[in-house]
Amino acid sequence: MDKTWTIKIAGPAGTGIKSVGLLLAQILNESGYFLKDYSEYPSLVRGGHNTYQVTFSAGEVYSVHKMIDIFVSLVPGHWQEHEKEFTKETLVFSDNDGKINLPLGEMCGQLGSTIYGNTISLGLICYLIDIDKDKAKKIVSRHFGEDSPNLEAFEAGWQWGENNCQKLTVDKGKSKDKKIIVDGNEAAGWGLYKAGLDMFVAYPMTPATGLLHFLAKNQDEFKMKVVHPEDEIAVASIASGASMAGARTAVGTSGGGFALMTETISFDAMAGLGVVYFLSQRPGPATGMPTWTSQGDLLFAVHSGHGEFLKAVLAPGDQEEAFELGKLSLNLANKFDIPVIMLSDKNLSESSANTIDFEKEKEEIIKSEKEIPGKGQKIKLYNSYEHNEEGFSVENANEAKKSIETRLKKIKAILKEMPKVNLFGSDKAKKIIVSWGSTKGAILEALKEMSNKEDFAFLQIRGMWPIDPRIGKIINAFPEKILIENNAMGQLETLLKSQTTVDFTKRILKYDGRPFFPEEIKEALND
Amino acid sequence: MTNWRSTIIPTWCPGCQDFVIYAGLQNTLVKLDLNRDKTVIVYDIGCIGNMADFVKAWGIHSLHGRAIPVAVGIKMANPELTVIAVGGDGGIYGEGLSHLIAAARLNIDITVIVANNQLYSLTTGQSSPTTPKGAKTKSTPKGVESVPVVPLELIKAVNPEALAQHVSCDEPLKVNEAMEKAIKHVGFDLLDLDQLCVSFGKQLR
Repeated sequence: MDKTWTIKIAGPAGTGIKSVGLLLAQILNESGYFLKDYSEYPSLVRGGHNTYQVTFSAGEVYSVHKMIDIFVSLVPGHWQEHEKEFTKETLVFSDNDGKINLPLGEMCGQLGSTIYGNTISLGLICYLIDIDKDKAKKIVSRHFGEDSPNLEAFEAGWQWGENNCQKLTVDKGKSKDKKIIVDGNEAAGWGLYKAGLDMFVAYPMTPATGLLHFLAKNQDEFKMKVVHPEDEIAVASIASGASMAGARTAVGTSGGGFALMTETISFDAMAGLGVVYFLSQRPGPATGMPTWTSQGDLLFAVHSGHGEFLKAVLAPGDQEEAFELGKLSLNLANKFDIPVIMLSDKNLSESSANTIDFEKEKEEIIKSEKEIPGKGQKIKLYNSYEHNEEGFSVENANEAKKSIETRLKKIKAILKEMPKVNLFGSDKAKKIIVSWGSTKGAILEALKEMSNKEDFAFLQIRGMWPIDPRIGKIINAFPEKILIENNAMGQLETLLKSQTTVDFTKRILKYDGRPFFPEEIKEALND
Repeated sequence: MTNWRSTIIPTWCPGCQDFVIYAGLQNTLVKLDLNRDKTVIVYDIGCIGNMADFVKAWGIHSLHGRAIPVAVGIKMANPELTVIAVGGDGGIYGEGLSHLIAAARLNIDITVIVANNQLYSLTTGQSSPTTPKGAKTKSTPKGVESVPVVPLELIKAVNPEALAQHVSCDEPLKVNEAMEKAIKHVGFDLLDLDQLCVSFGKQLR
């Protein structure tokens, strides 16, 4: 197995942690490594304590690790709260701060500004992990410009490393098919685009805002309209109107905004209008912890909207699945003219991986068969009241019953097109791990490294609703059943119990706003 | 000549001035000779919203307060369409007031027609955003405490470029004229149509 390496950079907001993280990820990607990254930041713009960490390897990586190999504190005082992530071998750099003394203050002084601490650190890191210096500098100059003092800063960091440290023995990267670096939000955006998205409507809300930014920036190239209206109710209502006029439409939000959209989900279902709701979860209730992660909105998504109706809820587990299910979501919404919710979370939405080049993937567009104005089709009223085929309101008992049944009977066809489960490992294993969403990465990474991995199979559920009741049979074939969820109440268990006879023998739940790390999963599985 | 009436008979109370708006809209659509396939009417919830069933046109009978953002979405998706939103004072000036302001600011080319009877009538007569201060209704037996919304002043303050008209349903010909002007107007326009509820509005006379 290829060794994995984890690097973490910490400091206050405004010191360029995000940009140096992005550069490091690009350098690792172009050096042929597999990588996953993860950032932590509080809900503020300047100050505080931000971190960027990346785990890379010459072999496949599914998740960032908790334990760090190289740690850089961009200003003194930012390593202390991470002591538990250090081993005896961890190289911890900080300026005159009780660890390896990296004189960032002095070096920045020579370069004339405190803003170069991040690029100096990047130079040092690249030296330590034995990156091709010219290749790294090319990427730095591509980002900052050829005359940027950042190149000097990179060189200074590299030189300091040469003079003061030994290079680490890191296997060379060799991956060929990982081409671009995207986070979950961008991957979902690529998926929606490749399914022919015409209009994206959103009100900013962390951690879904990245999708709005990505599509807004690319709207001309992607030939779509991106709209940011007055509130989330308008977001969803505008999307419904656009869908009626024939546009392939999606919206993006997090739990609080989604709460405001639930009346429209119900409306879409009644009127027969397909819209994709991209819901990136963060810890609630209420404003909760805006910049942290959670899987606490599964049941909310499944049960969103008043009345009895069909919707589809899909949950990708990583960036490439966010692309695939982004495409599928928009196609399901249009094929069945129903609301489709795509569940992400901060851990997926704002974490990057290197993936296949989505731009080169083919378009897949399944069109709605509903009547739309302006095309000479039969006129229709899209009605929020119970209605007949033409759309006119009905209150007659028989007609109402018939209309309800017509809508509900789509369930079999929808179930057939929902994303299939992923079953990893042998079906002869003693224990099955059951989970959904972004926990996929940490679970696969944990299993990759466990000596007793043959004991475990892992079932990742991706079609959350309607849920295939046959999932119960798969799980029940294993003697031990372990639930892993990034929430406090075990919402997948509640959902499965409503449709199957599954009984879990063990539950591993985490609900402190942080994602699972593979080390924690390993420990909990062997407990 | 396009017949814009559905086969469903209107369910409004005898004497209701929603008939004036209904007839005015039919006349205007015919007079302007609008292409039925390229005209979409969005209805809010309330007595006037029930017009959805009485018109033969592309339409959405939306949720309470949401006729405007739904109409905005239609117009954005296909700017070739003529888009008209029809609602009452409850939906447009109450539940959906922020949408009215946003659409006026955007100056998007839709027409908003409001049957403003200063009352929630489909729910049997509670105070609305335009009920005069002090008026006693079922939800305000001690009198309304707020000052009413003044729609024309509001639109003028938000975006002087938008067209805002106020006409009484007591003058049907003026209603027709104003509707024609509104639909022809390029940019956002509001047509506030004053009326009184024949069933629950007696105390407002």
